[in-house]
Formats: sequence, structure tokens, C-alpha cells
Amino acid sequence: MTTVRKVHLHVGTPKTGTSYLQHVLFHNRPLLRRHGIVYPADRFDAHFLAALDLMRMPWGGLEAQAIGAWDALATAVRRSSGDAIISHEILATASRVQIGRALDTLGHGHDTEIHLVLSARDLVRQIPAEWQENVKHRAALSYGAFLDRIQDPRREGRIPTWFWGVQEVPDILDRWGRDLPPEHVHVVTVPPAGGSPELLWKRFVEAFGLDGIDLQLDGERRNPSLGAAETTLIRRINRAANEELEPAYYRPLVRELLAHETLSRRIRTPRLALPPDVHPWASGLEEAWIAEIRARGYDVIGDLDDLRGAPPVPDYADPDHPDEGLVSGAAVDALKAVLLDHARLQRELVRRNAELDDVQRRLEKAYLRPTYRWRQKLVRRLEAGPSGRLLMTAYRRARGRSSRSA
Amino acid sequence: MSRTTPEARAWAWVAHLLDGGTTPWSAWGADAPADQQSSRFLPGAQQLELLRRLNQQRLPSPELAARVLATSAPGRGRPDLGLVGVLPESAFGPPPVDPGALPPDELVRVATALIAEDTVAAGDPLEARTPRLLRRRYRLLGDPELTRPLRDALVADGRPPGRRRATVVVAGTDVASMLVHVWTARSLGAGVRSWPDWLASEVRRPGLAERIDLAALASGWVGRVGPGRVHVVIDDPRRAARLTGARHRRSSPRPLSADAVELARRTAPVVGTLVAPERRTALMWHRLRPVLAAYPGPALRIPRRHRPWLDERTVDLRHRLAAGNYAVHGALPAPTEQPGVVAPDEERVLLLAMQVLLGPPIGSVLAEREAR
Repeated sequence: MTTVRKVHLHVGTPKTGTSYLQHVLFHNRPLLRRHGIVYPADRFDAHFLAALDLMRMPWGGLEAQAIGAWDALATAVRRSSGDAIISHEILATASRVQIGRALDTLGHGHDTEIHLVLSARDLVRQIPAEWQENVKHRAALSYGAFLDRIQDPRREGRIPTWFWGVQEVPDILDRWGRDLPPEHVHVVTVPPAGGSPELLWKRFVEAFGLDGIDLQLDGERRNPSLGAAETTLIRRINRAANEELEPAYYRPLVRELLAHETLSRRIRTPRLALPPDVHPWASGLEEAWIAEIRARGYDVIGDLDDLRGAPPVPDYADPDHPDEGLVSGAAVDALKAVLLDHARLQRELVRRNAELDDVQRRLEKAYLRPTYRWRQKLVRRLEAGPSGRLLMTAYRRARGRSSRSA
Repeated sequence: MSRTTPEARAWAWVAHLLDGGTTPWSAWGADAPADQQSSRFLPGAQQLELLRRLNQQRLPSPELAARVLATSAPGRGRPDLGLVGVLPESAFGPPPVDPGALPPDELVRVATALIAEDTVAAGDPLEARTPRLLRRRYRLLGDPELTRPLRDALVADGRPPGRRRATVVVAGTDVASMLVHVWTARSLGAGVRSWPDWLASEVRRPGLAERIDLAALASGWVGRVGPGRVHVVIDDPRRAARLTGARHRRSSPRPLSADAVELARRTAPVVGTLVAPERRTALMWHRLRPVLAAYPGPALRIPRRHRPWLDERTVDLRHRLAAGNYAVHGALPAPTEQPGVVAPDEERVLLLAMQVLLGPPIGSVLAEREAR
């Protein structure tokens, strides 16, 4: 009898605890393997690279590291003796052709049973989170412009195309789940804000069949959120510096140093939220999504009611018309962080310069020795003729290395 | 038995297109039997319309037709779209479209995926021969359109650049052409924004881009090799070749039209998802570029509104070159009215993409001959 391998394929959505899940899975690979589950990854972002490769998606130069990554991942899954888990949220945007290729290469229809997993959160939280994520990826468009674009039914342009591609739960499930029985499609709902943080993890455990495995859950990788004023500050920085700041420096300086390490610590400022006038539109979509998911008969892990967002916030903080006091407070914190980082780099530079000077002094000392100059002249002469070159090769071999330096 | 559903009508249109048909979807009325459904799901509107447009040009091979329908547009952008009138209006997913109303840009996206595959399939250019022991030491800098072909030819002939006490050759031409050339080189290489966006940021810069600031390049090297070894060569490819030690006379490569550069700019990132960056650049320059150069078209030029900026930059560069203590061969030309277009045209880019797809295979002898 042929053993059927189960592959849990987690394709999104972003901002639903995916980074944490991937962190836990990656760091528990040996333990998972002992329980017959493979999470095939030699680096934390292996599945992200595989997704880029599958979708031929340029990503700031990372695509060069992604070449062949999907086939390598699929091969690792097929060669494994047990079940497998694949997880990355950008897979949500894959086209039907790409999905067909993904499922075929994983062995769907042969010895593999694909279980699609989609984690979903209410739109009331997802919309501001997506704009913030755009801003942390150099976007300079206002919140109002972002909202206008995603509400435009034509969905043309980069912003709405990406947003709906990764967030429209019924469409993602239709694209990815078309060839699968509904009981193999698992929708994990993210609990409402303020609930137990362990509840979502318990749902992931159920969806991926991890029950009974004592996974190490510490060392959380967070993708921290920013307040309204802090997001405005990053957007203003993008507008001012985008043209001159090279992409290679944007990520460590703006996204990591400013956004994640500095501004995300300002947790007492008003949070980014959905504007009250957009709320009814988002709520309407949520209701339609809930009805559709229920009608399709998927396996829901959690509660579909979780996909109904909270009511409009009473004191909405508009990031397009922010409290300038809060923005300047955030700017001072950002400037302080940049200064401290600059000072750290200066210290590092001084230390490296001292090292370099020392090496240079020693080199000069070595070069000045008459014996060095004689040896250099001899090597040059020998290398000018075939017999001399042979002699040099023999000497280098005897010395134990093949360097051509004198 | 024929089905009368809108989906059957769509499948009949797919069969019509695979058979070389050119009827637009909006004018299509026939149904197809169920056994004519040629894949698991209907191809996207972009793919179908690209095939129809190819059929209008020239009948593609059955393999190419099948590839067009099976290729998703790469990268970020609109997903594969449904045909209007096929499925009942859904509250989910992108709205279906009339393929005939799609902007050319959407069809070019699909075409770039195929051109990128063909470029990679053409294989790497021939490897350079082993470096000669006796060769002139040189470094070649400046306008990439002038230096890259010469450097590649020298490397292929066993004369790689570098080594100590090298003669430094800084090659250039008029500032407007050099700007176009920098954008062209970046389009064939690591990637660049659209011409209007890129040019707008260039004219806001306080100086010229590093790569074409001939005076700054020359001054930088004077400090390292001495003034006697630095030569700025303006509009004199023969002298540049002689100074670098090139032994064979070679003709300059044909310039690319504005639309050809735009197609290269759109294709290079897709090639970059298939091969490593250094291979991408070599394939783009040596496989795709000659094919694109074979198709005539208007050249790119700087819009007239930037003329004062060009004049200013030219005068400044002239002054700095004159003040340098290195050899300057030739004089920097003054900006002139150049023929051409101020931006690529989407329809022409699409037409070119289709010509490339329908032409001889990239890298084939026939393609190389046409390129010459």
C-alpha cells in the first residue's frame, strides 16, 4: 500500500502571525523531524525565496538568491519520508498557473495529500496594517490615497493589486483550493484584539497537526506595529530620502533602526486604525467573506465571527492630519537613534582604522627589508621564463601552497 | 454535443486563437464542445489577447502559442484576469475584463516572461580566452555604451583590464547621449526606473552621474596612477581602442531604439529571476541586445525643457576637463537638437516584443545575422 504524505501548505495571509509561526517551525526542525514532520529550510527565509522563485518575483535583489528555490523545496518535500509544512504569506498572490505548478511539483494527485492552510484576520485590522507595511517598504502615498486605491473596484496599479492579491480571502481560497476537497482547506481565524495571545498558536497547532509536540516557543520574531504619528514620520522620511537613499541602506536604517527598533517602542501614542467613514465598507466585505467561506464548507479552525472587525474607534487619529507634536516627538526619538548609531559606527571606524594602520606599518616594515626586495626581483626573473616558472611551481608545491605572491 | 454556456464560448475562442484566429473576444459568438477545453482552467485575458495580437502579426508556432497561454505575467502587477461575460459576476477576485481593452503594458508583462526564458535558453556568451601574458595594462571608464563593448571585446581577446601602472582611458561623448547611454546600460543591467522618472531625478542632482562625470573620473585616477597615464577620449573610439591595446578593429554596436531599451528594461528583472546577476547582464548585453538592435525605431532624446540644464552641465564639464592635468583627446560637443522621442511608446514596445517573439530564436545564427 502506498503511503500518502501530507503537505500543509500555508499561503497567507500577511499580518496573521506568520513570522512567529515560521520562526517556531524553523527553530524546531530537528524536533519536528523526530515526529515525522519536515520543515525543509536551510535558512529562515527559505520558503520566502521559494515563493519568489515560483512567482518569478524580483525583490530588491533577493531574487538572485531565490533561483531554483521552489524546485529545491518541492524536491526536499518529495524526498522526505514524512509529512511536510511549507509556509509563506506571499504565496497568496500566486496565479492559477503558478499554483498548478506548485501543486504538481509537490506531488499532488500522486503520493501527496495537500492541505491548504490560510490564516485570516478581520479587514478592520488588516487595512491599516497593510498601509503601514507599504510605508515600511518605502511607500510615500498617504493613508487617504491608499484607501481610495483599494476601494476602487477596477483594482488597477501596484497597490490594490498587491493588497487584494494577499488579502482577499475568498479569492485566495478559490485560486489555491480549486483542485482540493473543501475538508483539505483549513481557514485559521485570528482571534480579536485583546484575547489570549496563545489562542492563535493553539489554532496553528491544530491546523498543522502539531498536537503533542513539545515545541520550543521562545525567541519570538515580531513584526511590531507603529502608531499613526510614527507611521506618518516614516512616510515623510520616505518622501524626503527615497530618491537618494539606496535600497540596500533603507532596510537596515529606516525599516529596522527607525521603525522596528525605535518608533515601535512608542506604544502610548494613538494606534493606526480604520477611518470611521471607511468602516461600513470594510464591514460589508467581512460579512460577504464570512458567508462565502461558510457556504464553501471549508474546515474553519477558530471562529468565523473573528473575521468581523471591532467597531470604529471613538478617537480616530488620522495619519494624514496628525498631531504634529506627536510627530515631532517621534522625530526626536528617531534622530536620537540615528545619532547613537552614528556614534557607534564612528567608534567602529576608529577601531578599524587603528587596525589598518597597524597592518600597514607592519607591511611597510616587511617591504623595506632588503631580503624582500631581493626575493621579489628573483621571483620576477624566474617567472619571465618557462624553466623559471616550473621552478617556482615546484618551490610553491614544496612550500605547501599555490599562492603566486612572493 | 455543444454547450451553450459562456464558458463554452470562451473555450471556443481559445481554440480559435490556438488555430491562428484574430477575432476579438468582444466579437466572438461561437461555442465549443466540452472536449475542446484544452487545460485545467481558462487562460488569463492578458495571455489570450497577446496570442490574438501575435496572430495578427504572423502565425506563431504551436509551441509559442501554447507557451503564451501557459505563462503568468511575472512579478508584481495585475493577476491573470478573467474574460468579461464568461462567469457570473462575482463579489470576489479582480473584475473580469474585455481583453481588447487591456493596456499594452499588461501584454508586454506576459511577453517579457517569454523573452526572458528565450534569452536564458540562448545560453551564455562564449567564455573569454586565457589572459595573454603580454598585453597592455589599461582601465576603461566612462560612457557605458562606448566602454562596455570595447572592454568585452578586449576581455574576449585575452586582454582583461587592471593591473598596476595601467593606462586609464575615460571615454565619453556629448552629455545628452551619455545620459541616454547610462539609462540604457542600467536597463540592460541591475535595473532602473522609467526614463521620465530617472531623468527627472538626474536633472535634480547637483552634478552628473558618477559614471559619466568624465572630469571627476579622470581626476580620481590621476591621484592613483599619475597624470601621464590618464587619457580622456571624446568621440574617438579608434583612439580609445588604441590606448587600451585592442588589436582588432571592430565596428560599434548598433544603437538601441527608445522602445528597445524600454523592452530590455522590462525584461532584465525577469531574466534576473532565472540567472545570477552577472549572467543576467552578460545575457542581456550579448544575447538580447543584438536582437533588439536589429529592429529600427526612434532613438531616445532629452526633452527640450532640459536644454538649459544640459548647457550648464556641458559648460561645467568642459571647464573641469580643461583644468585637469591629464590628456584630453577631442572636445566635448555642445548640446544640439537631436532627432528621436522623449519617451518610449507602450504600443511600439508591445509591437517590438511581439516581433522578438516571432523572430528567429534569440542567440541563433539567423538572429545574429539579422542583428548585423
